[in-house]
Amino acid sequence: MSAVETATASPASEKLRERLAASPLAGRAKVSDLDLPTVEVAPDDWPALARFLRDDPECRYDLFLDLAGVDNLRRAGAPTRFEAVVHLHSLAHNRHARVRVPLPDVEKPSLPSVESVWPAANWYEREAFDLYGFDFPGHSNLYRLLCHDAFVGHALRKDYAPGQRWFYEESDLRIPEWAKETGERAGHFETQTISIGPSHPATHGIIHLLARLDGERIVRAETIIGYLHRCFEKMAEKHHWNQVIPYADRLNYVSAMINGVGYVRTVEKMLGVEVPERGQLVRTILSEFSRIVDHAVCVGANLVDIGALTTFVYLYQNRENFYSLMEACCGARLTVSYVRVGGLAIDVPEDFVPRCRQLLESIPKFVEDVETLIHNNRIVRDRLQGTGVVTREQAIAWGLTGPMLRASGVPYDVRRAHPYDFYDRFDWDVPVSNDGDNFARYLVRTEEVRQSLKIIRQALDILPAKGPVNSDDWRVVLPPKDAVYHDMESLIYHFKLVMEGIRVPAGERYEWIEGANGELGFYAVSDGRGGPYRLKVRPPCFPNMAAFEKIIQGGRVSDMIATLGTLNVIAGELDR
Amino acid sequence: MSGVVDVSRSGSTRLTFWQRLYLPAILRGMAVTIRHLARNLTDMKRLPTILYPERKRDYSGRFRGKHILKTREDGSLKCVACYMCQQACPAECITIVAGEHPKVAYEKYPVVFDIDMLRCVFCGFCVDACPKDAIWMTRDYELAFFSREEAVFGIDKLIEKPGLPVKDGYGYRPYYPGDGTNPPRDASAVAVTPGQGDRSLLREKGVPLPSRDAGPGPLNAPSQAEARS
Repeated sequence: MSAVETATASPASEKLRERLAASPLAGRAKVSDLDLPTVEVAPDDWPALARFLRDDPECRYDLFLDLAGVDNLRRAGAPTRFEAVVHLHSLAHNRHARVRVPLPDVEKPSLPSVESVWPAANWYEREAFDLYGFDFPGHSNLYRLLCHDAFVGHALRKDYAPGQRWFYEESDLRIPEWAKETGERAGHFETQTISIGPSHPATHGIIHLLARLDGERIVRAETIIGYLHRCFEKMAEKHHWNQVIPYADRLNYVSAMINGVGYVRTVEKMLGVEVPERGQLVRTILSEFSRIVDHAVCVGANLVDIGALTTFVYLYQNRENFYSLMEACCGARLTVSYVRVGGLAIDVPEDFVPRCRQLLESIPKFVEDVETLIHNNRIVRDRLQGTGVVTREQAIAWGLTGPMLRASGVPYDVRRAHPYDFYDRFDWDVPVSNDGDNFARYLVRTEEVRQSLKIIRQALDILPAKGPVNSDDWRVVLPPKDAVYHDMESLIYHFKLVMEGIRVPAGERYEWIEGANGELGFYAVSDGRGGPYRLKVRPPCFPNMAAFEKIIQGGRVSDMIATLGTLNVIAGELDR
Repeated sequence: MSGVVDVSRSGSTRLTFWQRLYLPAILRGMAVTIRHLARNLTDMKRLPTILYPERKRDYSGRFRGKHILKTREDGSLKCVACYMCQQACPAECITIVAGEHPKVAYEKYPVVFDIDMLRCVFCGFCVDACPKDAIWMTRDYELAFFSREEAVFGIDKLIEKPGLPVKDGYGYRPYYPGDGTNPPRDASAVAVTPGQGDRSLLREKGVPLPSRDAGPGPLNAPSQAEARS
C-alpha cells in the first residue's frame, strides 16, 4: 500500500542519518534503510542512542513498542550470534524505527537497560532475559517473566532442546524482597501481603497479583504472569508459515480474526503478494466485527466484575450472532483460522452481505440498551470515574497503545496513523478522551463500537459482489481443488506448498495493525526456508499489564478489580 | 479519513441531580430489562438461548467437526497414504502408516490412520491438503472421552459407513457443487461429484489454472538451489 511506502521510504532514514551525524554518536551508529529506518549500534552506545532517539526534536521516538531477541546460530551471514531488536514509534512524527543491537559476547550476552529512558522497556527486557538469557545491567527487577522460576536454560535459544520438562513446586515461587519485610510503620497497623489469583474469578485467565495491603489500600503490588505461556514463538519456528495461523488465533482468542490478519499481512509484505480487493474487504469487515466483539466482551466482563450481570448477557448476544456468521464463513466460531497467506481459506457464503447488514442493525440496539442501563447509573459512575487514572505522560512512558492510550488523550490509532488495507478510504473518527480513568476507557470502547459499525457499513458498500478473494500466485496460495484433482501442474504446486511451505525470501519485517487492544505487531525473520526463523509478537496487552501494578498503587482493592477489567488483558496474548 | 472525536466532552461526564438520586436511573434500567423479558416471553421462537441437548444449533455446511474418511464405491478408503495431511497438520495429531494395497490399481493405502482428537485443533488444514478428496469434516462436535486412549480415533471410527447417515451431516470439505466454493443450504444432503475432465475442460468451466511458467516471483531462488543440493 502507498501509505506503507511513505512511512518506510528513505526520507525518514535520511533525516535520522543527518541528525545522528551531527550528534555525539556520529560514526558509532549505522543507519540502514530496510522496511523501517534501522539503526545499528554497539551495546555500550545503546543508552546514549536511546536518549538521543527519545529527545532529539527530529526523532522523538517516545513510544517503546517492542524488544525482540534473535539467536542467529543457524542463520547465515549474521555478524554476531545474538542480537536485540527494538521497535519504536514517534507520536510527533508518526513513524516507526528499528534499533538493532548486535551482542558480541556469546557466553554472556548483555546490553544496558533502557528502563530509565522508556519505563515500558522493563517487562520487554525481562522477557528477553528469560527467553534468551540477555543480561541487562541497570535493570531494577531482572527476573524471569514468562517461564517459571524453576526453569533451567533459555527457551528461545536455538540450541535449547524443547523436549525438556522442568517441574515447578510451590517452594520455587520467588517472593520479592518487599513482600517479605514485615511492614510495621509508625502510626500504622501492620500491612500484610496477600496473593490475588492466579485462579481468581476477576483475573479473567490466570494472572497472579502479589499485593501488600494497608487495610483496603494497595501499598505495593507485583504481577506474576506466564501461567498460560505455551511457547507460541518457539512453536512458530517449528512450523510452516501457514501453519502458524491456528496458533496466532489463540493469541487474543476473543478477536481471533484480527490476529490472523496481522500475522498474514507480515508474511504477505515479505513475499510482495497482493490480496485482491474483495479478500481485503472481507478481512476488514470481519476484523471490525471482531473488534466490536472484543470491546463487548471487555465492557461486559468488566461490568460483571463490578456487579452488573444483565449488560453482559445483552452484549454477549451480539457476540453469539457474530460467531454464527463467522461459522458460516469458515466453519468455526472462536478460533477461526480463516485467513491464509495471500487471502482467505475459502470465499464467504452467498448470504454474507445480508447477514452482515442484519448484524449492523441488531448491534446498535443492544449497545443502546447497555448505555441506558449503565451510562448514567450512579454505582457504575462511582466505581469507574476517577479510578485507575493514567495520565497522558504516563501512558506514553509505559508504552500503552489502543483504547488505553486514546482514553488518556493521545489519538494514536494504527488504522489512522498507518492506514492498511482500505482504512484510508473510510470516513470514521478516532475516539479519544482526556480523563484517563476507567470510565473514559469504557466510553472510548463504546464509541469505537459505533465507529467500527460505520467502517463496516462503508466496506459493505464497496465490497465487489463477485471476484477472487485469493491471490492467484500458486507458490503462495493453494490452487483450486478442481484443478488439483485433474491437473498435474496444480497438483505439483499444491504438493510443494503443503510439504515444504511457502518460501519467503530471507529478510526481516515488522508489520503492525490495530488490534482490539492496541498495536498488534509481528516481527518476522526469514532465512528462506518454508517457515519463520524467528517470529516475535508485540501483544498489545503486554504493556498494559506491565503498567497495571503502577496504576493500582495507592488505590483500593475494589478499584483494582475495576481497573483490571478496563485494561482488557487477554491471557492468551499476554503469556503467548 | 476523518477527524478525532472527543468522548470526554460529550456532556455526560457529570451526573445531574436526578441521576445522583440513583432511583430514576434504576427505573429506566428496569424498563429495559422488563422489555427484554416481555419480548422473550411473548416470542419464544426468537429466544437467543437453545435448549441443548434437546435442540441443537443449526451449523453451516462448513462446520469443522469430527473428521470422516471418504470411501470409493467399493467401500475401500479413498486415502492413498500420501502423508500430506499429516505434514500439513499444525497440531501434529495425524499418524499414518502406509501399506501396499492388494488391488494393483489402488497401489497404496493407509494401514493405520489415527487422529488424536485431544490434540486436534479443528483448523481444517488436513482437508485443504488432501489431493484425493479423501478426508472431510462433519458437523459432529460431541466429542467426549473417558480416557486419552479413547480419544485417538482409528480408521474404524473415522471411515464413512456405506448406507449409514453421517452423524449431524457433512461439514467442511474442499469441494462443493456448483463453482466449488459455496456450500448449498443443506450441504449434507447433496451428493458431490468432483468435476471431471482435462485441462481444456477446466478452462472451459472457468477454473483458473497456473500457467506453465509463473516467472520470477517471491520464490527464493538461492535457498531452493540449496535444498536441491
